[in-house]
Amino acid sequence: MSQNQNNADDPDGESATEAEVADDAPEATGDDTEAQPETVDTETETDEIEPEPEPEATGPRFDEDVMPDDEADLLIPVEDYLGAGVHIGTQQKTQDMERFIHRVRDDGLYVLDVSQTDGRIRTAASFLANYSQEQVLVASSRQYGRFPAQQFADAVGARARTGRFIPGTLTNPDYAGYIEPDVVVVTDPIGDAQAVTEAITVGIPVIAMCDSNNATSNVDLVIPTNNKGRRALAVVYWLLANETLDRRGGDPTYALEDFEAEL
Amino acid sequence: MSESEAESRQERQCVSCGINIRGMSAAVFDCPDCGTEISRCERCRKQSNLYECPDCGFRGP
Repeated sequence: MSQNQNNADDPDGESATEAEVADDAPEATGDDTEAQPETVDTETETDEIEPEPEPEATGPRFDEDVMPDDEADLLIPVEDYLGAGVHIGTQQKTQDMERFIHRVRDDGLYVLDVSQTDGRIRTAASFLANYSQEQVLVASSRQYGRFPAQQFADAVGARARTGRFIPGTLTNPDYAGYIEPDVVVVTDPIGDAQAVTEAITVGIPVIAMCDSNNATSNVDLVIPTNNKGRRALAVVYWLLANETLDRRGGDPTYALEDFEAEL
Repeated sequence: MSESEAESRQERQCVSCGINIRGMSAAVFDCPDCGTEISRCERCRKQSNLYECPDCGFRGP
């Protein structure tokens, strides 16, 4: 993102110096004999003045080209999505995720369509609201997904299996931790492959947060998002919890900070 | 799973390929947009074939 920001700033800087040089040019045409030293002085002044326009930019600037429709109605302002890095994909993409990718950046990172992420969070919330709260299972083996997944489970009354997913949790009735959920939410289909496999075995739907490099095999509902970032996962789980509670008629009482895992 | 539920599951057809659903690996769930029942067979789930709700047109996965 910083590269794009620099690229965006460079044209402004160049245009400023060109304008200053253009302003200095008429002065140089006054006296032919004394003009040259003056122009040399003004050129050195412009070199010193060049860096001044850069500090005028206040606050973080984000690349705003993250969705086709700029006026889409989102759950939170697009700046919040961008600040958390929800739209940042990977340098690899799969054919399954191609329809959720908006563009590719100069540094090779694929940019996910934020409006589709927003829409899928709403869709997933409607999906989860159809199920009894204790029949929803959230799984996350990814480090930064464990805390938000647990918080999501606490918020909506679901069950969570963070860390290593013990094989047999959904398939072995003799196992002490055996459960029979009706729907599974996973943070990453690669990291939570065991949960997905067992969900397929018992025939329950799978909701997965998929990045641009994920295959959506055995997934019934994709939430396209950056599933590797700490803040991105916090934002997505927070929104999903709020929307689910909203559709159940509950009162969302959690703040975004409550879902952010510690560094 | 009871026998009646297993029998009703066999009568369903996959919304992607139209095949009669057999086995336990198929998924049956309500469309998140309109609530219409959607069935996906094991193969279409594994191959990530697109499905479309027959009522509202929601496209997944």
